[in-house]
Amino acid sequence: MHNGEHELTAGPLPTHQDVARDVLGRFQELGHRFWGWVTVLAFLFVLGIVGFVIRLSEGFSDENRENWGYFVATLAFIVTTFTAMPVISAGLRLAKANWRRPLTRVTENMAITGLLVVLMLIPALIALPSIDGRLSIWFEFPLGAPGLWDIIGYGTLALIGLALLWAVALPDLAAARDHLPASPRQRVIGWLSLGWVGGLRQWRVLYQGSLLAGAMYLLTYPLVQTLMISDFHHGLIPGLKDAIIPATVVVNGLQGAVGMTLLTMYLMRRLGNYERYFSVEQFWALSKPLLAFSLLWFYFWWASFITFWYGRQPGESEVIRLLVLDEYRGALMISFFLNFIGPLVALVWNPVRRSVWGPALVGTGVVIGALVNQVRLYVSAFSVEDPSLHVMDPRPATQWPAPPDLLIMIGAISGCVLLFMLVSKIIPVVSIWEVGEGLRLVKVRRYLNRYARVIAKSH
Amino acid sequence: MYYRRTLTDAQINRELLDVVLRTPMWWVVIVSILGLIVAGAASAFGFMMNQGLGVTGLQQPIFWGFFITNFIFWVGISHAGVMISAILRLSQAEWRRPMVRAAETMTVFALMTSLLQPLIHAGRPWRIFYWVFPYDWARGIWPDVRSPLVWDPTAIITYLTSSSLFVYTALIPDLAIIRDRSTGWRRTVYGILALGWHGNPRQWKLQGIAGILLSALILPVFVSVHSIVSWDFGVSLVPSWHVTVFAPYFVIGAVHSGVSAVVTLMILMRKLYRLENFIWEEHIDAVARLLIVVATAWLFFFWLDLVFALWLKEEQEMTVWHLRLFEPPWSWLFLVFIVCSYIIPVPLWMFRRVRRSFTWMLWTSLMVNVGMFLERLIIIVPALMRKGPWVFTYDTYRPSAVEVTLIVGSIALVAFLLMLFSKFFPLIPVWEEKEGQKLIDEVRVGDRVVPALVKEH
Repeated sequence: MHNGEHELTAGPLPTHQDVARDVLGRFQELGHRFWGWVTVLAFLFVLGIVGFVIRLSEGFSDENRENWGYFVATLAFIVTTFTAMPVISAGLRLAKANWRRPLTRVTENMAITGLLVVLMLIPALIALPSIDGRLSIWFEFPLGAPGLWDIIGYGTLALIGLALLWAVALPDLAAARDHLPASPRQRVIGWLSLGWVGGLRQWRVLYQGSLLAGAMYLLTYPLVQTLMISDFHHGLIPGLKDAIIPATVVVNGLQGAVGMTLLTMYLMRRLGNYERYFSVEQFWALSKPLLAFSLLWFYFWWASFITFWYGRQPGESEVIRLLVLDEYRGALMISFFLNFIGPLVALVWNPVRRSVWGPALVGTGVVIGALVNQVRLYVSAFSVEDPSLHVMDPRPATQWPAPPDLLIMIGAISGCVLLFMLVSKIIPVVSIWEVGEGLRLVKVRRYLNRYARVIAKSH
Repeated sequence: MYYRRTLTDAQINRELLDVVLRTPMWWVVIVSILGLIVAGAASAFGFMMNQGLGVTGLQQPIFWGFFITNFIFWVGISHAGVMISAILRLSQAEWRRPMVRAAETMTVFALMTSLLQPLIHAGRPWRIFYWVFPYDWARGIWPDVRSPLVWDPTAIITYLTSSSLFVYTALIPDLAIIRDRSTGWRRTVYGILALGWHGNPRQWKLQGIAGILLSALILPVFVSVHSIVSWDFGVSLVPSWHVTVFAPYFVIGAVHSGVSAVVTLMILMRKLYRLENFIWEEHIDAVARLLIVVATAWLFFFWLDLVFALWLKEEQEMTVWHLRLFEPPWSWLFLVFIVCSYIIPVPLWMFRRVRRSFTWMLWTSLMVNVGMFLERLIIIVPALMRKGPWVFTYDTYRPSAVEVTLIVGSIALVAFLLMLFSKFFPLIPVWEEKEGQKLIDEVRVGDRVVPALVKEH
């Protein structure tokens, strides 16, 4: 909602009412374009289900475990991008970044993809070999491990994400309830608004609740990523002892979340005319953490590589050959370029950062790189013949996606976008109250010989 | 709320340049005491050179003890400067202003002290040159560039150079202020150091650009330094050291100890130099919040180190961890380490009253550094105490009086250098404080007037 600094003038900023009218006006529309996109996405999602059914018909066994590699990689990709997005809003809200306001809801609405993740987790867990006789994070404490604990972990993340989304959306749900004409949709929204009238006590609870749910999401996300990488990758590759990899995937998740947020904002600008809300300021501000996460991604990867390279123990050498030098070298190179070189070369330049296209383009690359990286990590792990060995023997060959794998990947990603679009017609995609609050806290004043933004320190 | 106190430029000059322009008696007393301790440590070092490394507690197979622990400890402390100064400058955190100079200066002195430790550890300091310089030109015996022991001095000297440049660049406007208030030879020296600064728009613009550029360029150096220190351990095959997570684990641990040291320093500075108008409860509150995040991230890496160390269930790895966790005195030291580094301070910092109490923050920040020193000791010594082939008992390590004296001496040395620095240069940047004052504003929100800030960039 705020213009870039170079555009500042002493002219009046829009009011809370302007924002409410504009956002609710778009929210109310359910035109042909919307239904057209929903139909296409639903069709692709059904194709994904077809791919899944083909794989299901082949069954689960140790002999055909590699059939499920791409399915698990897709699940990991969703966790790394869509489901990671609420971390952005939770972190920025805790840091009180004022520029976050127009984009928090976009990221929170993606929490809905947590439901798809929990559903996809069940077949992924069935495809996982038993932990008997192989190394695992669960050591001698099976008690339902890993299935039960993974479901608890992912379920908790999904629930916290939905709680965060719902809690923070209450004022806007109430606004939508009061704005929309009577209809089944309005009744659902009215029910979801839990009788919000904006009392002082309700606002206090909202502030505390949003911070608490955000902090919990922030803490749960790294744990869930640790479960995912240790159960579905690390525990399946003999000879691998890589303590840094949970942190690497967390960083990859944060990077993917920022990339996906930038891509979503760009698409909403282009397809939904949301230029007023997703301005250069949001792209500029998000490009900085994107650059930081890209550097961290390389740093974590390098810390792991150099330790193995110097260690040269038999298990380590085989792991390096599989994941870096031989079978999955191509996937690493693509990921290396899209997750590190590309962002570094592009985003060190302020003119690129301070544009809409620059961060969006880099963000798209990061998202593609994240997908390829998940394929490298999980498909390779699911291709290993015998995870109970001490050293990988033989190393599995590179596994390319079969048609059902492609259908699953396209279908699952389309399913996430579909869920986002549907939920965005229940909860406005721009947080009206947060943008309105921001407008009250920001003034443009003359400062020396130019105009500057003055930001009140709330709370 | 921030920025409730409005100070005039004259008041800022007067209060921040007080110690620089006159010499209080307490300063002389403290510097003398610290000087005596440093001299005592230097004598202990002389004694050790004369007698040999036998006067230390080092013995086979434990050849890394207090000195290497102290080396890592001071490299860790040096991470405060960049964390506070560069990162907070880039992220435009307003509360950084009173603490940047002290943090940057501490970085420089901590690095200098850390560089002394391997020299001391070598026993014959001149021999250390064989690590980084050719042993014999004629025979073509060169240092092994693939060894992290060569990367270490390279990284630390790069970091020391860039940190010194960082301190100096930020000092220039203040040097000009002191030049204009000095007479005689002092005026000449400050005049030379101020590089002809007059505060014209072009100079300010260049100063701003230099600050941002140096902040951005120093960040990779900052990360590389402690990573390389960690690779001294990580690239070896010593059980419990050959761990991929060591690099970020060391870096985040360094930030934890370094930022805690800044808190200690800020509180002591406030008391000694009467800086109540500049260092407020809000500042240490903000650092404490940062520390909660840093400490929790550090705990995550510590947990990863522990869990994945046990992953392969290798006998030697398990033995080292058994020593650390269950065998006295290491188990007691481990308990003290984890309690001091996280269990006591972080839950306490959750309370606003603690975060805003100078007394509580002083003790908890000191506690963190006791814990972090022990962490490094626990990483190093038990790993070398393992039972190897043909060894049936654990050899143990007890630091000698010489080693303890040198450790105390290193703490005194950093404090001594900081005190000397404060005599010649302001510990809080005068120009940053003035800039901060100019960015204060107020905004009426409903029926309340709320403190506000002019956005910098």
